[in-house]
Amino acid sequence: MPSPGFGLGLRPDHYPDFLAGPQPVEWLEIISENYMVPGGRPIAMLDRIRADYPMVMHGVSLSIGSDEPLDRAYLADLKALAERVEPLWISDHLCWTGIDAHNSHDLLPLPYDAPALRCVVDNIGRVQDILGRRILIENPSSYVTFRSSDRSEWDFLADMAERADCLLLLDVNNIYVSARNHGFDPLDYLAGLPAHRIQQIHLAGHSDMGDYVIDTHDADVCDAVWELYARAIAMFGPVATMIERDDNIPPLADVIAELDRARTVAARTLEGVDA
Amino acid sequence: MPEPLREVQRRFLAGIVEDDAGAAALIDDDARVGAAKRLAIYRNNYRASLTGVLADHYERLHAWLGDEQFDHVASAYVAAHPSMTRNLRHYGGSFAAFLAEHFPNDGELAELARLDWALRAAFDAPDVPVLDAVRVTALGETWLEQPLTLHPSACLLSARFNVAALWRALDAGEEPPEPVEFTEPVALLVWRNGLQPHFRSLSEIEAGALARLEAGATFTGLSAHIIEAVGEAAAMEELAGWLGQWLADGVLVQSGTGP
Repeated sequence: MPSPGFGLGLRPDHYPDFLAGPQPVEWLEIISENYMVPGGRPIAMLDRIRADYPMVMHGVSLSIGSDEPLDRAYLADLKALAERVEPLWISDHLCWTGIDAHNSHDLLPLPYDAPALRCVVDNIGRVQDILGRRILIENPSSYVTFRSSDRSEWDFLADMAERADCLLLLDVNNIYVSARNHGFDPLDYLAGLPAHRIQQIHLAGHSDMGDYVIDTHDADVCDAVWELYARAIAMFGPVATMIERDDNIPPLADVIAELDRARTVAARTLEGVDA
Repeated sequence: MPEPLREVQRRFLAGIVEDDAGAAALIDDDARVGAAKRLAIYRNNYRASLTGVLADHYERLHAWLGDEQFDHVASAYVAAHPSMTRNLRHYGGSFAAFLAEHFPNDGELAELARLDWALRAAFDAPDVPVLDAVRVTALGETWLEQPLTLHPSACLLSARFNVAALWRALDAGEEPPEPVEFTEPVALLVWRNGLQPHFRSLSEIEAGALARLEAGATFTGLSAHIIEAVGEAAAMEELAGWLGQWLADGVLVQSGTGP
């Protein structure tokens, strides 16, 4: 699919702006779970704004890494939402969120080993069969490395994408965060990914704690992440890019200004590549 | 034989939710940050997301207690109630019961929580066509004999404390009144009109009337009951006033009207 351009995560704070008139944004990403509710304002806003913008659906609860059967009720709700939204694509994360019906509501890290790869590949296959489409899987940010891990995250992702025949959502900030936390070179990460499977890019801010970095999505994108984004665009070409802001949400104009910076970085990088 | 992934996940989750020390053995230790501190990031994320969603769902209770006290109570609830729901939207439904059990001498806490939760539930309850003046006109007199019920967003609460006044003051950012316990409980109606949740206090007789309709009474059946209770002249006045308000507020639906 050719890139639809530059987008934003739709947040309730910005509903009035999107209802008031056209915004310079080519598409919007919704958090699927926020609209997996019976009715009322979330559904009304979704329908009204969807009429004006293409959308992609981004979930946080699929839990493809949990070593237990998938939650069929959740998948049925996700599919029903997809029928309503008709999204360009659907994504979730390389992670697990809970086990034995206990939910952490966090994107928990996996061991990067053969059993986890088998679990994830099988689950992506089942999800894609149920949804009737390929899904995108996002690289997580993480703070721990399992002792049983025997390969890098990028090798794991590349194998996973190939074996499950899925697509990738590249979160450039997450690469930066995990590189700082685990001490790897983010350029090795980019170089290890299958370029043809990368369909979307997330940009976000984080909290720098000195010895480690926490993925908080509550601040502007930092310079190091902009540099890494330019490298990603140089390697992967014009990939659909958006700003992901989940906390301390500024006025829409400020987020659009950040998105405009992404447009500029991408355009300059691609001019350089073409030259 | 390596430990199966499911066992690894059980142990890791226990390390986050229950502070189980066994989780640290699953992960690499290092001099710069250390396994314990790395796990603590997940532990903090877990508590912060659950107490944060409680603060969203129970916004006026949060305002009433203040950050520190709310965090203390919410953390105790989170420790006692690990999340069993896939969507955070549904976490915290038993917070009011928890408050009633642990703070029996501060009854306004549980009641404020119940009101917050009912308003939160009204916010995204199913969309069902309401019985409004246009619909009543279209139906002619037939609607009078059809079983009615309340809109899925509507619910009746019983308050022993002045939580309606507390809630409104907190919502307006004004100094809330002292909590007062009534001699007789007061009924509150929570509902959504269009996209906006509302609540109001009810007289005992209107609360009884709405409870009858919630149970599937027809308007004719309700009228007969009210006439018997207060006499024809008073009943006609009450019924006309209520009906006008219910139709304008979107409180009623025809029974069997699915979302």
